[in-house]
Amino acid sequence: MVKKYLGLLLVVILLFGMMPATAQEEAGGGGTLIGAFDIGPGGAPQVIPFFDTAGRTWLSKIWSPLISWNEDMSALTPQLATEWSANDDSTVWTFSLREGVLWHDGEAFNAEDVVFSLELALNPEAATSFPAFSQLDPDDVLSIEALDDFTVEITLAEPNPRLPFFMIFAWVLPEHELNDINQADYQNLDWFYTSPVGTGPFMHDEYEADQFWALVPNPNYWNGAPKLDRLINRYFEDETSAVLALESGEIHFTFTSGDVALRLQETGEYQTFSGPSGVTNYFIFNLRNPAFQDERVRQAILYAIDRQTITETVLQGTAQVVPCISPFESMWPEEYNDYAYNPELAQQLLQEAGYDASQAFEIATYYDSQFHLDALAAQQAFLSDVGINVTPLTQDVPTYNSYFYTGEGWDISYRGVGVNVGNFPFAFYEPGGQPTNDDEPLQGESFPELQELIDAARVESDSDAYLGLLQDICKYQNEHALEGYMWSATRFGTGASNLVDFYWFPAAGGGPYEDHPELWAVEEE
Amino acid sequence: MLNYLLRRILVSIPVLIGITIIIFTLTELAPGDVVDFFISPEVEMSAAQMEAIRTRFGLDKSPPERYFNWVTNLMQGDLGYRFTDGRPVAEVISRRFGASLLLMTTALIIGIVVGVPLGVFTGLRQYSVWDFALTGVSFLGISTPAFVTGILALMVFAIQLNWFPAGGMRPVDRDPTLLTSIHHLILPSLVLSLNYIATFMRYMRFSMLEVVRSDYVTTARAKGLFNKRVVWRHIVPNAILPVITVIGLSIPNLVVGAVFTETIFSWPGMGTLYLDAVLGRDVPLLMGINLVIALFVLAANILTDLSYAIVDPRIRYE
Repeated sequence: MVKKYLGLLLVVILLFGMMPATAQEEAGGGGTLIGAFDIGPGGAPQVIPFFDTAGRTWLSKIWSPLISWNEDMSALTPQLATEWSANDDSTVWTFSLREGVLWHDGEAFNAEDVVFSLELALNPEAATSFPAFSQLDPDDVLSIEALDDFTVEITLAEPNPRLPFFMIFAWVLPEHELNDINQADYQNLDWFYTSPVGTGPFMHDEYEADQFWALVPNPNYWNGAPKLDRLINRYFEDETSAVLALESGEIHFTFTSGDVALRLQETGEYQTFSGPSGVTNYFIFNLRNPAFQDERVRQAILYAIDRQTITETVLQGTAQVVPCISPFESMWPEEYNDYAYNPELAQQLLQEAGYDASQAFEIATYYDSQFHLDALAAQQAFLSDVGINVTPLTQDVPTYNSYFYTGEGWDISYRGVGVNVGNFPFAFYEPGGQPTNDDEPLQGESFPELQELIDAARVESDSDAYLGLLQDICKYQNEHALEGYMWSATRFGTGASNLVDFYWFPAAGGGPYEDHPELWAVEEE
Repeated sequence: MLNYLLRRILVSIPVLIGITIIIFTLTELAPGDVVDFFISPEVEMSAAQMEAIRTRFGLDKSPPERYFNWVTNLMQGDLGYRFTDGRPVAEVISRRFGASLLLMTTALIIGIVVGVPLGVFTGLRQYSVWDFALTGVSFLGISTPAFVTGILALMVFAIQLNWFPAGGMRPVDRDPTLLTSIHHLILPSLVLSLNYIATFMRYMRFSMLEVVRSDYVTTARAKGLFNKRVVWRHIVPNAILPVITVIGLSIPNLVVGAVFTETIFSWPGMGTLYLDAVLGRDVPLLMGINLVIALFVLAANILTDLSYAIVDPRIRYE
């Protein structure tokens, strides 16, 4: 009898001990917010500034950049830099810094921190990802100087009218903490996992490798102390696991793919966040192959695929058809060819071009999500209808890149490219613009008329004139079907219904963008 | 015995070296390297930037030179740094190794404790309703992939019933305790054990059916022994030997991990680490993981051979 009751007691103790911990338990003040901030585009946990591959939504909670996107990525907004200006030819840029900002350890932030951080980010020995994301060649940066405690001047060898757009990738690190390190060992520092110091809204609290990173509010945050008691980034290997955790109430937010976001939205129990991915999905044709040198073949491919129907049905209305490489309407010309579905015209163009229907091509891609695989299957079927024989070939990213960047061994690739008003996704046309086995442009052919537009846009400092040039580039791409422009997807995030003033936007690369984390809270249920 | 042990250890050394050379060569033959992994196809990167990263990781050196450097560092106890996040390989592996061992061992024990008795039970009731029912369930257990059972288990027990957490090794919003750790371990280990249960049950059932028809069992029954005594003294001890071999073959899985289960349950084990290493062309990590697995398998083989001598007095190693 005693044994029986002891057993029962043990079961009761176990059950109490195992009661699932919901995220609302610690709610006091703003509560604890747990999110899967590193799921989705960006992937692996982001821990080290300047080695981030994307996912800057999380890093910006600890470290602040000089500048960030605004809420909807339509303009820049000040962060640690409050103002910026350039000389006439945009070779000398001056950044005024925010005064009164304190590091998490109480030290004062100043211009030396910015100089240190930028020099580190551009140091070839540190081999950071900053030069790639900022499109800054370290050799083109002649100097970075602190003019006074709150003014930094950057001098460039070449005009760069859009430098501030790339300063969103310029994290600012504490010079007083890191000035003694060997910069070649920057990526191996324990400091990021044990005692990182930033100027962001939250401070390091607890890091459990492979599981989570917990932060506490920075009472000295320059934009106001955060309301949350704790902010936790929980790591998941994939989206499905994160969505299950969201549905079980263990986390409050995760990135969601289109079909999942729509399903959760229909339940009425979640908040849905969405916006343009800023990534255009398109076919890039290897113009070394004679089959694609005739623009009528490329145009026929666009006419043959019913892009509108694919976006509405296969992609469930979560993508928008684009006329050129730019996904934003502001960069499109007033008039362009929409290449509306017309298989008869496609066949006629192929016939005029003398297209050999016995050819077969593989469409190489690194995309492995159901979203893109379904789209590829539909594209394959539409092309087959007009006599173009293609087979999708999915590869992992290293395999794909190892072929793609040689310019050899592939004919068509289905890929994506991130575009915003500041960057220049045109290097595939330019000799030396991308690593290839020869000096030819990666796509295999140059377009002098287009190159003139690109060169002009690159140094144009007037924003209206610049936008006009981007529209001209779009028009040229559209007319000549330089690539097979498909669509730009909408990206989604899903949050619990009790999140208060939480904001998420699918800014390309995860921003950073203005999301006011100091206002976030979790309402007790 | 000691001579035999020393001889086996000495023979294992060239085997180990051979394994590392093969793994390194295969890694070299795989298309792409870690720089290709780092290039986001959606971001443009110049050839100079790619070369800077290759130089930083030592990929500008020839493969033999890199292998020699790896061996030299290994001799000094240094497995190098993971390419993708800069963490020491030894630290990453030891952390993941512990997590995998905990999960896989628990699942294996559940598999043995449940699967073997069920095999005995069905083996003694051939063609009964129980036999058909449990055999059907075991086929389901063997053929259902872990990512299906894992997701189903999470949907039922984590989302609908809220009995268990939806993955992870510990709660993230409070300090872990022994109870919370057990709580997080139960569901993934049960899911993982389904396959073990089904497998061990099938083997045990088959083995029981073989032994039940043996002459010595018939003799025992003819001598008038109680059925219980025949079963537990004569049938089960003989029937279990092949099952022990199957269990032994499962032991290397303890360190390899279980990719799908670890992924679905966000369990940071060796399976997902290995997959990440392959996808990221993370050579130091790949070499480190393979070294650990090879060491484990070689050690397990030696221990198995030695255990034969303990179990069977006729076997002597000189």
